[in-house]
Amino acid sequence: MARITENTKNEVREIVYSFFAEECEVDRSQINDNTNIIKDLDGDSLMFLELIEIFKKKYTLDIELKVIGKYAVKNPVATIGELIDMQLLIIEHEKRLLELEK
Amino acid sequence: MKKVVVTGMGMISSLGLDLETNWANLISGKSGVKKITRFDTGDLSTQIAAEVSPEFEEFSRAYVKKRAASQMTRVTRMCLVAAKMAVTDSGIDFKNEDKTRCSVVIGVVNTGNSSVEKDTTTQNTVFKAMTNSMPAWISLEYQLQGPNFAVNTACASSAYAISMGCDLIRTNQADIVLVGGADSIINPEEIRGFNALYALSVANDPPEKASRPFSKDRDGFVIGEGAGVLVLESEPHALARKARIRAEIAGHALTSEGYNIMAPMGDGVGMARTMEAALRNSGVTPAEVGYINAHGTSTELNDRYETMAIKRVFGELARHVPVSSTKSMLGHTIGAAGAMEGIITVLSLQSGILPPTINYDNPDPDLDLDYIPNKAREKDIQAAISNSFGFGGHNATLVFKKYPT
Repeated sequence: MARITENTKNEVREIVYSFFAEECEVDRSQINDNTNIIKDLDGDSLMFLELIEIFKKKYTLDIELKVIGKYAVKNPVATIGELIDMQLLIIEHEKRLLELEK
Repeated sequence: MKKVVVTGMGMISSLGLDLETNWANLISGKSGVKKITRFDTGDLSTQIAAEVSPEFEEFSRAYVKKRAASQMTRVTRMCLVAAKMAVTDSGIDFKNEDKTRCSVVIGVVNTGNSSVEKDTTTQNTVFKAMTNSMPAWISLEYQLQGPNFAVNTACASSAYAISMGCDLIRTNQADIVLVGGADSIINPEEIRGFNALYALSVANDPPEKASRPFSKDRDGFVIGEGAGVLVLESEPHALARKARIRAEIAGHALTSEGYNIMAPMGDGVGMARTMEAALRNSGVTPAEVGYINAHGTSTELNDRYETMAIKRVFGELARHVPVSSTKSMLGHTIGAAGAMEGIITVLSLQSGILPPTINYDNPDPDLDLDYIPNKAREKDIQAAISNSFGFGGHNATLVFKKYPT
């Protein structure tokens, strides 16, 4: 279980904001934590998977995609802020993510 | 049964990235065939093709968002760009339309997801390979909700797509249908495969002289690539929105030869049956046909049998009907050919200019029709047909009529 520091939070936020600005071809200043990924950015669900792969590599995470999938079904994300929070939970809890629901 | 009209068209080919440039080059008799640039052809017998300009990459960015583009092959992007240009040309604003009455039918032989697509990743391989991806992306662009599918009948695919779209309107299942096709088989695997069948020209030098339909020294087809999309509408729908109508699709025929996986039926019997059925379906007589856009592949058998088929259908009139093969300039664009040639036929009706068969320098004495040799011709015509014949015996003929202005 990783400890989430301010530095980690800032890193994750930076990666997520940069990713959506680049992929959706929008100015970074137009994105905030309340930005809706589908409605405001014309994003898609695959972006979530791509970000997970980025974070799995960056933090050498021990978690299977199906675990994240099960968690995401019960805890769907719509905004950039919600996505960042979920990524932080994944980094913090890795394969024990589902234990959060017990 | 509702009349079907063409109200928009978009085209991308080796001769241009828009409709106007394509048409200007076609009636100038310009060839799009060059040495292949996208990969090393050193060990291939055929080293030429009609490639779309590399400028397409930059050009397409104005039409396709980066995110979506990364999930498409280059050919799929061509299809989407051609579709968007066709919609713009039609003046349709889908915000004003009942989207459940708007459809897409695209001829797709393959999506061009070959070794030449260097940026394929594991994550988007499926999207790039899905043969339904082209109609899917078009429907996603405009959120269209009517019937939406791909059709594959080899080289006749997009002529079939036009026919299916026409029937969706005729049978009142749709008001608007985007029809067409896109294709590229310019990759080492396909070239080796077609070379093994002795189907491709190996006249590599000079490239622009290689595609020579109906000539005595023709030695096979030259591969082309690109996309063509047409907007079809019911006549009442087009009139209600005061659309510019480019032409009427008077009818069509789809037939199967049930004969051979590659060769056409002897003496053009199957081709003739298709043209006859299309004329019957459209109520157009042979005497009314002022131009034939031939399948004209520049292969020994196709050109011979298509000529025989035209004689069979048109009888004494055959020698007086201008026939041309625009594959002499565009190469054979396979799944896109029927749509591109349909577009060219519509432009011929509208403009009164018939595009030529270029490289007609050494006539085959057995093939004695009027092939509009080398130079475009001015001729006011009222009806025209476009032929498409595919490997496997898939035949299609489309009949277009001039629409009164």
